[in-house]
Amino acid sequence: MASRLITRSTAAVLLSHLRSRTPNPTHHLLTHGAAMSSLLGPTHGLPATARSRPLLEPTRWFSSPAPVVEAPRTVDGLTVDSIADKGWTILAEAESDWRSHAAAVAQSIRLIKKRLKWKWLLERSKQLAVVLEKPDLWEDPVFAGNVSREQGELMGKIKSVNQFEQQLMEHIDMLRLAREEGDNELETESMRALADMRRDAKEKELNALLSGDNDVYPCFIEVQAGAGGVESMDWAAMVMNMYRSWAQRRGYRVTIIEEIPGELAGIKRATIKVDGEYAFGYAKSEIGVHRLVRISPFDSGKRRHTSFAAVAVIPILGEASSRYQINESDLRIERFRSGGPGGQHANTTESAVRIVHIPTGTTATCQNERSQHMNRASAMAVLQSRLDQLEITRQAQMNAEHTQSLSEISWGNQIRSYVLQPYRMVKDLRTNYEVSDPDSVLEGDLDDFILSFLSLSLDKVDESV
Amino acid sequence: MLSLSARPILSAFLPKPKPRRLLLLLRPRRSSASASALTPPTPRTTTPDPPEDADPTPLFLRPPTHPVPEASLAAFRRRAAALVPPSAPHLHRHLRWLLADASAPAPSGADPAAPHLLRAPLDELEALWLRHVRDRRPFQYVVGNEHWKDLVVAVRDGVLIPRPETETVVDMVAAVEGFQDGWWADLGTGSGAIAVAVARMLGPGGRVFATDVSEVAVEVARLNVQRYGVQDKVEIRRGSWFEPLEDVKGKLMGVISNPPYIPTDDLPGLQPEVGWHEPKLALDGGKDGLDHLLHLCEGLSSALMPGGFFVFETNGNKQSEFLVDFISTKWSSSFCDVEAVLDFADIKRFVRGYRR
Repeated sequence: MASRLITRSTAAVLLSHLRSRTPNPTHHLLTHGAAMSSLLGPTHGLPATARSRPLLEPTRWFSSPAPVVEAPRTVDGLTVDSIADKGWTILAEAESDWRSHAAAVAQSIRLIKKRLKWKWLLERSKQLAVVLEKPDLWEDPVFAGNVSREQGELMGKIKSVNQFEQQLMEHIDMLRLAREEGDNELETESMRALADMRRDAKEKELNALLSGDNDVYPCFIEVQAGAGGVESMDWAAMVMNMYRSWAQRRGYRVTIIEEIPGELAGIKRATIKVDGEYAFGYAKSEIGVHRLVRISPFDSGKRRHTSFAAVAVIPILGEASSRYQINESDLRIERFRSGGPGGQHANTTESAVRIVHIPTGTTATCQNERSQHMNRASAMAVLQSRLDQLEITRQAQMNAEHTQSLSEISWGNQIRSYVLQPYRMVKDLRTNYEVSDPDSVLEGDLDDFILSFLSLSLDKVDESV
Repeated sequence: MLSLSARPILSAFLPKPKPRRLLLLLRPRRSSASASALTPPTPRTTTPDPPEDADPTPLFLRPPTHPVPEASLAAFRRRAAALVPPSAPHLHRHLRWLLADASAPAPSGADPAAPHLLRAPLDELEALWLRHVRDRRPFQYVVGNEHWKDLVVAVRDGVLIPRPETETVVDMVAAVEGFQDGWWADLGTGSGAIAVAVARMLGPGGRVFATDVSEVAVEVARLNVQRYGVQDKVEIRRGSWFEPLEDVKGKLMGVISNPPYIPTDDLPGLQPEVGWHEPKLALDGGKDGLDHLLHLCEGLSSALMPGGFFVFETNGNKQSEFLVDFISTKWSSSFCDVEAVLDFADIKRFVRGYRR
């Protein structure tokens, strides 16, 4: 860590040293340009991707009137894009080849940018900057707060990617300089730094998959049995178990909120709360209809059955975000009735509470806590999230960008097929990812399905949109 | 086994069955006079209440001093669950809660391989579970508590388990103008649930006098008062109804009671958890179930200060309607605004009113 700090702080000195000795005048000009523009800061102006091959069009690049931010580049003008385009062979991480490391990191940065919707991000942040300049902005403090919060988040993302690029360029320069000067120690140091970056980059790639607005929040997962009686209720219970063990494997805390058992086996419906960072970001990939094919243990004729279970995932927004304001008088609260004469006649630990939000018809039920008091609080939390979700959807419909991604994960689409007989396979119908071991999937080994869906849905998005 | 547990939860929210239930309730009982001529069937005590736990401390309050390896605990969980049909979700919930109440809270960052600390030896838990599942001993007696409003009320054999309907009583008290600084009486306090809940809402001048004739009830109520630190607000006095309250006669802002109100003849038909295990003293309301309610009404006017409030829980529509009618006719000069109040199942569960 300390050595890396030294490397970075000495980089500027070394760079200027290198620049004065550069024989090629073009290089000199380019370097100068890069240095100038970097003074302007990394955040205004056009995205780096707008100039993917600046070396070929130096004049246009210089004549641009707008204040431009340069993509970070090495002394001889390499950028992340040019490195990625060079097609350098990417070797194993253990190989000490700087080109391989650099190419791997550059590829990752490209992927990260794509996942973050980089162009949109820059464009959006430019728009927000304009809004933030307006003198009357703070007349609506809620709006102003939202805008400046969003801008803060965008800038954070942009800055972290830019810094990462910058770091790559510095390490490359450093390494080449070390070679030139025959400084073995510095060379090893820089090589190690590049290899570290490569590992960091892989992590950042994953993190970029979870860059959606609500990804960081905990969530509710709700499973509902499809038509088909006991077999599909059993299937719904299997699906719910799959999510419970998946969540536990990931270290999330799972609480049962509601469980309506089937008459003979399984569940009609159940809701769990999954607590932990990025629970929604991952679990949202599971929204949709899950299909099971097997020989039903409930069929005495040993016939093959197909059943369905629908999965809904709702984020539990933090206090900070603008939440749906619930009007107490819009609520109807229903409590469990044991039936019969009640009072001293009955002993029951059932204390289910159902809350109906009359204007929207949204309902929430909780029956798993030990008192009505707690069940009411729990049901209110579910109701709040459902109403938040409605609000999010409503807002998303006004924002074309989001509508597209939402439609891909809408309730009602069949997303995955689990076949136990006559052959054994689990196949995701969106990604075509499949495994031949249904048991491990049903025991919660879902991460590969989730990651392949997340990367597919984000990586296929056309950057030109 | 199936029949005792199959309890479709959904039906709780279906509006349909309600009218039918009301009709059943309203259907006139066939000449209650002749019923008394019959030999009152002895309550089904064929499975006599097991001897009190060696330790009278409620399970959830005992010190966690019994280390149990994870594997044994898991085995117990499997054995216990095997006794329960899948269609009895409430019993599965009970098992989860039993283990939660019987375990010491795991300290954060604890070694997951470390043995669990239980509040009772595993074989005792097993015996408790069997008595719950087979003998229908109420779950609340097994763990020693009932979650009631925002309280965890300690209970044990010999004291009535507070019912969810009764929570409403506390809300009604909170709706009385100036209740915070009044003196209140909770007659037949049992576990002390109402007294503690009311005391927690009171201001500096407010007090609750909680009476009960049962020694066990007085002990348990004391425990609950202490657990919630309301000793300076609640005074527990042993004795029947108004008897121990001579010194505060005419000074009470309110009288609250959930007295025994089940007609004696109905006792044998009660749900086993109630009929076999809960104290008759807290359930048996005499021939029409009104013995104690009428006694309470008699004492009201001298106990309450002018303008004072009262609320009683009753057996349902029939009793409530009778009492409203009775109080407003017999003592129309003493009381006003006497009315029946519905519980959450839309049964007329309470009678409330004010002293003029």
